[in-house]
Amino acid sequence: MHKSWVGLAAASLMTIAVAGCSGDAALDPAQTGDGENTIELAEFPDRPYWGDTHLHTDNSIDAFGFGVRLGPEDALRFARGEEVTATTGAKARLSRPLDFLVIADHSDGLGATRRLYDAPRWYVDWVIGDETVLRWYDLMHEGPEGSQQAIAELITAAANGTLPESFSDPEQAREGTEDIWNTQIGLLDRYNEPGVFTAFAGFEWTLMPDGNNLHRVVMFRDGSDKTRKILPFGGIDADVQQLWEYMASYEKETGGNVLAIPHNGNLSNGLMFEMTMPDGSPMTSEYAARRAKAEPVVEVTQIKGDGETHPFLSPNDEMAGFGVKGWELGNLPLTLRSTPDMYAGSYARSALLRGLSLEQQLGVNPYAFGMIGSTDSHTALASGDEDNFFGKHTGNEPANQGRAMEPQNLGTREGRFGWHYLAGGYAAAWARGNTRAEIFDAFKRREVYATTGPRMSVRVFGGFDFSASDWDGDWVRAGYTRGVPMGGELTDAGTAPTFLISALKDPDGANLDRAQVVKGWVDASGAMQERVYDVVWSDMDKRPRTARGLTPVGDTVNRADATYTNTIGAPELRTTWTDPDYAAGQRAFYYVRVIEIPTPRWTLFDAVRFGFELTGDALEDAVAQERAYTSPIWLKPKGAGAT
Amino acid sequence: MKLPDWAREPLVHFIGLGALVYLALTWGGMPVDPASRMIRVDADQKAQLALGFERVMGRAPTDAELDARIERYVREEVLYREALRLGLDQGDAVVRQRLVAKMDMSASAAAEVADPDEAELRAFFEENASRYADALLVSFEQAYFSSEAAARNAMSRANGGEETGEPISLPRRVENERFAEIQIRFGEQFARGLAALDQGAQWQGPVPSGFGWHLVRLQSRKPVAADFDTVRDRVENDWRNAQIEQRKQRAYEILRSAYRVDIAR
Repeated sequence: MHKSWVGLAAASLMTIAVAGCSGDAALDPAQTGDGENTIELAEFPDRPYWGDTHLHTDNSIDAFGFGVRLGPEDALRFARGEEVTATTGAKARLSRPLDFLVIADHSDGLGATRRLYDAPRWYVDWVIGDETVLRWYDLMHEGPEGSQQAIAELITAAANGTLPESFSDPEQAREGTEDIWNTQIGLLDRYNEPGVFTAFAGFEWTLMPDGNNLHRVVMFRDGSDKTRKILPFGGIDADVQQLWEYMASYEKETGGNVLAIPHNGNLSNGLMFEMTMPDGSPMTSEYAARRAKAEPVVEVTQIKGDGETHPFLSPNDEMAGFGVKGWELGNLPLTLRSTPDMYAGSYARSALLRGLSLEQQLGVNPYAFGMIGSTDSHTALASGDEDNFFGKHTGNEPANQGRAMEPQNLGTREGRFGWHYLAGGYAAAWARGNTRAEIFDAFKRREVYATTGPRMSVRVFGGFDFSASDWDGDWVRAGYTRGVPMGGELTDAGTAPTFLISALKDPDGANLDRAQVVKGWVDASGAMQERVYDVVWSDMDKRPRTARGLTPVGDTVNRADATYTNTIGAPELRTTWTDPDYAAGQRAFYYVRVIEIPTPRWTLFDAVRFGFELTGDALEDAVAQERAYTSPIWLKPKGAGAT
Repeated sequence: MKLPDWAREPLVHFIGLGALVYLALTWGGMPVDPASRMIRVDADQKAQLALGFERVMGRAPTDAELDARIERYVREEVLYREALRLGLDQGDAVVRQRLVAKMDMSASAAAEVADPDEAELRAFFEENASRYADALLVSFEQAYFSSEAAARNAMSRANGGEETGEPISLPRRVENERFAEIQIRFGEQFARGLAALDQGAQWQGPVPSGFGWHLVRLQSRKPVAADFDTVRDRVENDWRNAQIEQRKQRAYEILRSAYRVDIAR
C-alpha cells in the first residue's frame, strides 16, 4: 500500500511540473491589460508617481552570479512596501512604497547563470563542453567569492565579445527565456493593481561594444494579453537599430506600445550620444527620427553614478560633478579608459545640446529626450534611499560591512571603490492616475523627471504669458491650459519664454537649497552653448550672489552621527522666470535642476552604523547635495516642426 | 478500503502512468532500453524547433539554421542519454540538489496555476483580516504656516471659518483619500499628527510636518471595513504564496510517511 502511495504522490508532483506554466486562469481583465478605463482619473496630472525602471533579480545573468537569490515576486513585494528578507539575511523594507516598477533583467542569458549553477557538472563538461564555462561553474560552486570572480570575468568577456556561445547565442537560450518570460508576465499581472501599484513588463538589452555601455531598458505599456506574443530581444553584438525594429514589429503585430530607455551614458565612452550613426557615417534624418520615437526618455542617474554633466563639459557650473568620481575613468569593465573628448557623447546635457545641433542639420532632433533616475540594483531590492542602501549587488549588501572602502572592480583592473556607488535614483512621472497606460504615456510625452533618491515634487510649465500673479490662482490649470509642462515644446513667438517653476521638498526629507534653470542653445554661429541660472533659492535676502556664485546654503551634517537638521534651506521654492538672454529664432532647451541642502550619503550612515572611519576622498565625499533634473522644455524656431 | 482525499484527485490519476514510466527510466540506475538508441526527429519535432527559433529571431529559420538547430538537439540528446547510461547522475551533489529543488518546485508549480475558488479566497481573507484592514479614508482641510509662531497665532484667532495660511503646493482640501496616500503626499510626521486629531468642524493644531505647521479641520475619518473585492488580488497573491509553502510541506509529508528513518543515537 505504502509503495503505491509514494508512486502516486511522486507522479502527481511530476506531471504538475509539466503542466506548470500554462499561465493564469482567472485574472481581472483590468490587470492583464494596459489599465485604461479602470480607475477614475484626475483632470490634470495630480502628483508625481514614483518608480524604478531598472531593477535586476535572480534571473539576470550577473545578478545571480553576484549571489542574489531573490526573484521577481520578492522584487514586486518589496517595491509595494512589504518586508522581504534580503539574500544575505537582513530584513528589508522601503520607508515608503513605490508606485511602479519595471523588472529589467538582462535579456541575454536570461536565467542562464541560474541554470548553469543548477546543472550537473557532467552536463557542463560534456554537453556544453567549454573550458571557460566549466571553470566559471566550478568557481560559482566554490562560494560567494568564487562566484563573484566568475561573474566579473563573465562581464568582462561580454564586454570584450568573447562570451562562450552557450551564453551569447539567444537562440540557444530560448527555452529558458521563454519559461521565465511567460511566468513573469503572468506574475506582473497578478501584482498590477490599477490605482495602487503598476507592474510593467520589461527587460534590459545589453548592447556593449568593446565594453562601452549602451544598454537599454525596454518597457511595455501592455499586459500579458499582448506581451505573451513575444520574447525579450537579445544579442549583445547587434546594432541598436535592430532593437528598434523589434519594437516596431511588436507594436505593429499586437497594437501595443513599447519604448526603450538608454542606460546612464556615463559608462559609454562617448558612444551613447554620438554625432554620427553607430558605424561612423553621417547621421541620417531617418535614423534620428527612429531614435527619437523609440527612446523618448534617458536614465541620467543611478547606482553607477550620475550622468547629467561633467565638470569638464560645464566648467562654469559650480554644481556639476555629482556622482562623477570613479565612473569618469572609463567604460563599464574599465577595459578602455575615458578621455575628455569622449565626455560629450556620454553625458545628458551635452547630448541635449548635440540634439539641437543635429536638428539644425537634419530637421529632426535624435536627442530630444526626457530624464529619469533609477536604481540598476542587482539585489531585487529597488532601494534608492541613502539610509537604506542595499548595495549594487549581493556582494555589497549591508552584510558586507567593509563595502564602502573596498575596491569594486569588474574584471581585474584597479580604479573604482565602494564609495563611488550612489544609493540610486528614482523616476517620477506626472500622471493622472496610477495605471500602466497613464504612467507609460507620461514617459512617452516626457512628463517625467529624475531624482537621485529623494522624492521632491518638481513642476515646470513654459509659456509666453505667465506672470507672478498666476501663483495666486489655480496655477496648475494655468500651466496646462496656457503653456506646456516638462517634456513639452514651445514654438518661438518672438518674445522670451516664461516659466512657472515649483519645487516642493520631499515631505520626509531634506529642505531645498536652490532651483536652477539649465539652458542650452545653438548660437548664431552654430556653436553649442549652455548656461545655468540660479532662479530661486532659500533665504534669498540673506544669500546674495557674489562673483564666486551664490552664497552657499550651509551644512548642518554631523559627521559623527550621520544626522542633519532642516534649520537651513526652504520647504518649497517657487518662481516665475523669464529667459533674460532670449534671442529670436534661437533653438533652445530649458530644464530645471533642484538642489537639496547637504545630507549624509550612504557611506556616512555605514561608517556610523558599523563603527569605522572613512578616510581621504571617501570622507570628503560622504556628504552631498542630492538633486532632481526635470525633462526639458524645448523652444523651437517657427516652422521647425515637431520632433 | 477508504482512500485518502488526495488520492481521489483526478489529476493524480491522470498523471500516474506517465510519471511511473519516468520514474522507471530514471530511478535506480536501470539500464537504458536499447530501443532508446533511436532518436526520432519527426515533423512535429522539427516544427517545434523552427517555432522556437522564430519566436526569438522574429523570422523563420533558413534550412541551414534549422539543420544546425536539429544537429544541436541530437547532440544534446545523445550525450544526455549516454550520461544516464553511465550513471553520471549518481552521487553528484548538484544533481541531487537539483532534483530536490525540482520536486519542491513541482509542488509550487501546482499552486502557481491553481485557480482558487471564491469561497477559499474569502476564507483566507477572513483568517488574515488584519493584513488587509489598513484602509482608512480621510477628508480634511489644511492651512499651512512656515513658522510655528505664525501657526499658533492663527490658531488663537481661528474660528470655524475660512483659514488660508501661506502658499504651498499641497492640496488645501482632501476628500475621501486613502490614508496611505496622505503619508506619501504630506509625509510621516503629518500623518501621525492627523491620526491624533478629533473629527469636527473646528480648526485644530498646529500639526507639524516636514514642511512646517498646519491647522487642520478633520471632516471625516472613515475606517473602511476591509472589502474583499478591493483587495482580492492581494489576497490571491498571498493565498498563492501560502499554498506553495503548504504544498511543499504536504508533498514532503506524503513521501516521508513511506520511509522509516533510523538515526543512530
